[in-house]
Amino acid sequence: MKISAEFLGIRAPNPEIKPYALKGASVKLIYTDSLVVGAGLAGLRVAIASKERGLDTVVLSLIPAKRSHSAAAQGGMQASLGNTIKGMGDDEDVHFQDTVKGSDWGCDQDVARMFAHCAPKAVRELTNWGVPWTRVTKGPRQVVVNAEKVTIEEAEEAHGLINARDFGGTKKWRTCYTADGTGHSLLYAVDNKAISLGIPVHERVEALSIIHDGKRCQGVVARCLITGELRAYIAKSTTIATGGYGRIYEVSTNAIICEGIGQALALETGVAKLGNMEAVQFHPTAIVPVGILTTEGCRGDGGLLRDKDGHRFMPDYEPEKKELASRDVVSRRMTEHMRKGKGVDSPYGPHLWLDITLLGRKHVETNLREVKEICENFLGIDPAKDWIPVRPTQHYSMGGIRTDKTGQNPQLKGLFSVGEAACWDMHGFNRLGGNSLAETVVGGMIIGKYVADFCQENSLEIDTKLAESFVEKLGSEIDELIDGDGTESPFALRKEMERVMMDYVGIFRNGPELEKAVTELQALLKRSRNIGLKCKKRHANPELVEALRVKRMLKVALTVACGAAARTESRGAHAREDFPQRNDKDWLNRTLASWPDEHALSPELSYEQLDVMKMELPPGYRGYGINNAIAHPDTEKREHEITEILSQLGDDADRHQRQHALMPFEVPESLMPKNERLCDTLDRPTPPVVGEESVGEQAL
Amino acid sequence: MAITKINNKAGEASKLKSWSEGKNWSGKLDISQSVSGVILALFLWTHLVLVSSILLGGDAMTWVAGVMELNFLSPDGHGYPWVVSLIAIGVAALALVHVVVAITKLPMNLRQQLALKKQMSVINHGDTKLWVWQALTGIAILFLLPVHLWLIGAAPETIGPAGSADRIWNDGVWLLYLPLLVCVELHAAIGVYRVAIKWGAARDINTRARMKRVKTVISVVFVLIGIASLLAFLPYA
Amino acid sequence: MSQGRTLTFNIFRYDPQVSGDKPKMVKYQIEETPGMSVFIALNLLREQQDSSLQFDFVCRAGICGSCAMVINGFPTLACRTLTSKYPQGEITLMPLPGFELIGDLSVNTGKFMRELAERLKLWLHPDQDDVDVHRLEAPMAPEEAARLYELERCVECGVCVSACATKQMRETFVGAVGMMKLARFELDSRDTRSVEDFYHVIGNQDGVFGCMTLLGCQDNCPKDLPHMQQIAYLRRKMAVALV
Repeated sequence: MKISAEFLGIRAPNPEIKPYALKGASVKLIYTDSLVVGAGLAGLRVAIASKERGLDTVVLSLIPAKRSHSAAAQGGMQASLGNTIKGMGDDEDVHFQDTVKGSDWGCDQDVARMFAHCAPKAVRELTNWGVPWTRVTKGPRQVVVNAEKVTIEEAEEAHGLINARDFGGTKKWRTCYTADGTGHSLLYAVDNKAISLGIPVHERVEALSIIHDGKRCQGVVARCLITGELRAYIAKSTTIATGGYGRIYEVSTNAIICEGIGQALALETGVAKLGNMEAVQFHPTAIVPVGILTTEGCRGDGGLLRDKDGHRFMPDYEPEKKELASRDVVSRRMTEHMRKGKGVDSPYGPHLWLDITLLGRKHVETNLREVKEICENFLGIDPAKDWIPVRPTQHYSMGGIRTDKTGQNPQLKGLFSVGEAACWDMHGFNRLGGNSLAETVVGGMIIGKYVADFCQENSLEIDTKLAESFVEKLGSEIDELIDGDGTESPFALRKEMERVMMDYVGIFRNGPELEKAVTELQALLKRSRNIGLKCKKRHANPELVEALRVKRMLKVALTVACGAAARTESRGAHAREDFPQRNDKDWLNRTLASWPDEHALSPELSYEQLDVMKMELPPGYRGYGINNAIAHPDTEKREHEITEILSQLGDDADRHQRQHALMPFEVPESLMPKNERLCDTLDRPTPPVVGEESVGEQAL
Repeated sequence: MAITKINNKAGEASKLKSWSEGKNWSGKLDISQSVSGVILALFLWTHLVLVSSILLGGDAMTWVAGVMELNFLSPDGHGYPWVVSLIAIGVAALALVHVVVAITKLPMNLRQQLALKKQMSVINHGDTKLWVWQALTGIAILFLLPVHLWLIGAAPETIGPAGSADRIWNDGVWLLYLPLLVCVELHAAIGVYRVAIKWGAARDINTRARMKRVKTVISVVFVLIGIASLLAFLPYA
Repeated sequence: MSQGRTLTFNIFRYDPQVSGDKPKMVKYQIEETPGMSVFIALNLLREQQDSSLQFDFVCRAGICGSCAMVINGFPTLACRTLTSKYPQGEITLMPLPGFELIGDLSVNTGKFMRELAERLKLWLHPDQDDVDVHRLEAPMAPEEAARLYELERCVECGVCVSACATKQMRETFVGAVGMMKLARFELDSRDTRSVEDFYHVIGNQDGVFGCMTLLGCQDNCPKDLPHMQQIAYLRRKMAVALV
């Protein structure tokens, strides 16, 4: 084949832009009001909120916005609409309770309330932006519940309203969805909205440090991945929405860009703190070996887990919730079962089977098509006929940049964070399926308004010297990597780190292994200061990108390992074999990690207490296994107080009044109104069959 | 909120104008290409069937030629050969329409030709190759057809076993007819297949695959009939 | 399983930002592992043989559409292309034609798609800008929602654009991705644009009347979207509008 540039009609990217190479070159400064780092759902939603207030808004993204990892969320988002018959009787209260219990009481209950209150609004807003939510069809419909075909009858009045499916850890069918491409549909609708508003997304740009003076965040320094140019983006508010840090693990369901660079940005300020970094969720059903997720919808729709004998083992461990127990629980039960030798042997280690054959081909080919495609393309099997090899795999980062209720970091004014990148803290130590996608758009909706408020109330702080010093610092870091005499390979360091995290900071953890992880990661961090590159390009250079990232990822990994080593209890996804009890007495708190000395080899940990006396739902039994939690001394006191408050209210108080009396919460004014539901307008009473008692399968 | 709305915003009108330039023309041209192509193809196949009457013998063909010249209307039974000339003119007119539109779709400048060449060198795609064949045969037809039409249109009365055989074999016009036959049969079948799909005749991929097979069969069958007919004129030459 | 085979990769290499660099094909060899995909192979090549090799992957699960490239003559998603598919063990990789080349196998599809969306206004134009989010949502026929989702599955990978000879020859042609998206909004009962509005955008030589039905889009789309039927649908609709 003849190959020449003219023949290929190649157009080079803008050749005038020179990478940061010439010393003394002027630094490119870009000013805006609201800067958002990350163009996934959460980031875009905040950008839209800013733009709608007339603020100048710029979004930075590693990749085109529509490629963001939000698109991979297949299953759906939780919102208590209560349209389907199996969701009737659902409301914010039930959603709130599920979320708090799911978090193993680790979450911020105020935030969980704000979230549950706004979730239905976000779903309805997205409808107007183009999401083709799957709708309810009136009349009888066959579903699979507990491995049996059951016919449910949808209400006439619900016809055409937004449907919901069952997900783990929820009392009601609450997960709104569009077939199995919910994240895709949402991301496309929200990005389309952003395009319609003319919000610029600077694609293929990587933020690598935050410009700050120790108190105020003034923007970021970013590197163009095409030209290598370094730019300082100066903004009133900087919102980090870069997603999770799953890729510090060897096998993860996350996209390969979920590398925790957003968390590292905050960490490297030395001031901003990260919350609950040790809270890492493992999803029960990722395919073996590549770790691609098959949605929780598989089990929600009736799929089963089987062992090497074809035995359905989950009822043995969790007789009530079975496959639909909370994710952390199912993942641990699966690991336990495989440790008993019940796993199926494969060249990649043991796995179990996910069986969705009983759902029927039609269901698989319409509602679970992504799953079908994944099985065909990556495993070469037909899931309507064959069982799918699965095992628990790193999936979600509950931890992240610590923020207050408005999404702002308490340490650095003007630094906001939202979505998986943040520890806003509605997930505590375990996230419910369907609550992450919901957090992106609900959190984005709420925090977006606070960000816009902030931008309107504050002026731009411009300190070009400061900005330039941060650009120069990054510039010399790059110089050092390219021109220095380092010898370490960034790829090798990365592999080592992934292995350490996988082996010692996994589903089950224990003291000695965590200590080992910390020591090994520290050794890697030291080595990472001696990286040398083979590829010396200053513009598009994948090795340079890898080097800049791995140095940062190692610090993030250390916050996870150190946090896990210090937390001597088991809570949610953090399961210590040597401390199997949840210990509310000593550990009802949030781990905070910061990195004040950049030359140090470990983060500084501190703790933020959760106040039981302010909780609407004091710590209790989560409903799995034996109830062995060590109670907090305030728990009983608060329970009495709650009973008293409620009894004083009298019988005619409605649920809103009762809730308000226990734990008043605030969201931006425009989001305060109550949510209307079908049952409010139905003139006949809600059918009694949907109560928790009658459908034992769904009851917590 | 400031969403721009297409349907009721005056400011949008100017922007839309550039889009709508020539809107009626492109639509009408595209439709006329499809329609003229289909009519030409139907004519072609009918024409070949009629010509192939020679396979049934000289009398059969004489009879067909007579009917075509509307001999049943003329009192002397000789018909009106100018009818054939009219048909030739009609076909020429249709072909002209077809060509004018088709030409706008061909890569006319070097940049387009390079782009096409590059794309086809990198990407392997059957229907695109088919289209290239269609374009090439189309260009060949553009040169061959006028000659054929002129020969027939100018001397319609010579159509018949003896006259045609004389033209084909003694005057060496088979050198024109043979390539023309192959070209038109390829071109027409591919074209009709594409028109059918273009307007939505194939509801699914299987239908399309079937249509593609039918298309090939039609090409082959008509080329064979054509060659057989040409040979069948030999004894009369 | 084809374990232990040595695969030969012929990879297009060119860095347009290095002056004097010439496009070339470079041969690499690598040991095949069970279940190996082009994604895995390319990453190994980068880590072990040439750290400057450029390519794009994000979800590596066939969902995000980042990694489309031409593999042995067929444009497709590299992440879900298993090397075992090629019994000869020879794999030629070329960047998608028709897009701005960033380097090697990486092309700027994102920029292209954003410009297309702005040009064709590829977003829902609802009745009112602000809907009362506190009230019950407006119902939609369940069948309509399902139909819309069917068309919404496009991942903007760019395969249809590069597989379309028409698009390659005529830069202003909207291509299958544009028409698929417009068809999606045209079918959406919530969208207030009329047939005339859509006609303005695609009732011309750059739209449905410029499409030559070469079907490179239909035959290569990794999501098996019904390009053939949808473009025909739009064409009929536009033709009726014309009459």
